[in-house]
Amino acid sequence: MMRAFSTSATGMTAQETLVNVIANNLANVNTTGFKRSQVEFQDLLYAKLSEPGTEVSPGINAPTGLEVGNGVRVAATLRVFSPGEFQATGRGLDMAIRGNGFLQVLMPDGDIRYTRNGALQINANGQLVTLSGYQLEPSISVPTDAASIEVAPDGGVNVTDSTGARSVVGTIQLARFVNPSGLTSEGDNLYAPTDASGDPVVGTAGEDGFGLIQAGFLEKSNVQMVNELVNLITAQRAYEINSRAIRAGDEMLRNTNNIFR
Amino acid sequence: MADIGTEVSASLDALTREFDIIAHNMANVSTAGFKRRCNSFTRALDAQSSTLDDQLEENAAAAFDFSQGGLVQTDRTLDFALYGKGFFVMESPEGPLYTRHGIFHTNQNGQIVDTEGRLVAGTSGPLIVPSSVDISQVQVGDDGQVRAAGASIGQFRIVEFPDNEDQLLPAGLNCFLAPEGVEPVDALDAMVKQGYKEASNVKLVDELVNMIMVSRLYEANMKLVSATREATSSVMSVAMG
Repeated sequence: MMRAFSTSATGMTAQETLVNVIANNLANVNTTGFKRSQVEFQDLLYAKLSEPGTEVSPGINAPTGLEVGNGVRVAATLRVFSPGEFQATGRGLDMAIRGNGFLQVLMPDGDIRYTRNGALQINANGQLVTLSGYQLEPSISVPTDAASIEVAPDGGVNVTDSTGARSVVGTIQLARFVNPSGLTSEGDNLYAPTDASGDPVVGTAGEDGFGLIQAGFLEKSNVQMVNELVNLITAQRAYEINSRAIRAGDEMLRNTNNIFR
Repeated sequence: MADIGTEVSASLDALTREFDIIAHNMANVSTAGFKRRCNSFTRALDAQSSTLDDQLEENAAAAFDFSQGGLVQTDRTLDFALYGKGFFVMESPEGPLYTRHGIFHTNQNGQIVDTEGRLVAGTSGPLIVPSSVDISQVQVGDDGQVRAAGASIGQFRIVEFPDNEDQLLPAGLNCFLAPEGVEPVDALDAMVKQGYKEASNVKLVDELVNMIMVSRLYEANMKLVSATREATSSVMSVAMG
């Protein structure tokens, strides 16, 4: 049977993955701290029908061979950790990281996860938590008599109590990775380290490569609608053209079958 | 009569293969750095001296069309497009591989690698981003010089095959392999564009036109078969009375 059918099918499957990823990017266009994904394609291995350099007649070698490709596959989805736009919220516990650090989040099972979503809250025990209620690591407790909280660019959490006395109750620490694209996404804006991302380097905001904490701002998603829509159109058309090839192949085979009618 | 049969089946064979190549090009319309396979039609047009039939019978030697693909902005620090003739070099256990697919990453050691984890070759050894430097501070100039936070960490090795590019073999996964005796030289006029990827150079319109041509030729060959069959049967009926 024709190789073209399966080749075109790989094309359709790959474009389908692309559409899925674009749909997820578009769905998260308003998600704080969301990083868009990008799909990377690779051509599949080639079937060698004849080797180049084959001797076609004595002393004469074929200059080229004949290899027919088998289509395409999705090699990877990459997260692009380019900065998103900063949006002023005026809320003291909203923070955006101007740089490449991640906030560290302590999961209930003791593992640490990483996030760029800096919309922090205070839970019933006075601890700083993420929107999902997970504590920051290291844990920072705000005294109950705090009148106002300010987060300094270096992550220092300054509390002013009811008498007007100021004190530092803790410092938000950041982590960064050699290869952030190697992080796995766990949903809820959380990322987990892998062998590919390398071990986290923990430090204070303002140190080399960690970036500064900007309180009163949130980092918007880095998805750009126009780009995604253009990609969507391309994916849709590429899907169409591949299905077109299947139809053309089908017609050729039908012609073959019609000989004996 | 038998002659027509062999001729038709040979050309049908070639047409099917041609069709497979077109389908492969179409499947890779979104593959960054992909170079389309030329098929015999385009080759026949290039070489006006030989007829289409000659080309078909010449086993439709499929070569690559190494023309430049469009540059698409991605804004990712480690996406690179090559403008002009040239290839990035990947270190693999089986020897160097050549690619125009410049979507790179860093591994856990800070080395610049491709999606398969193969090292990207620099002019003097692998390129390593120091752990104190963030990926977003990596800057690459047009000449392939890689700077991490201002300090040079090496230069991409960009090579070209000025005379024997058409002998490169596809290794799959976006890479090409140089057969024995084909040696690369340093590329002279390739520019590295950071934050871009090179789009596939497959042109859908061309592929569609070729596809239509192939199916129509296929159909014509089939017509020939049925015409031969009818002719044979009428001869037979005359002979047998």
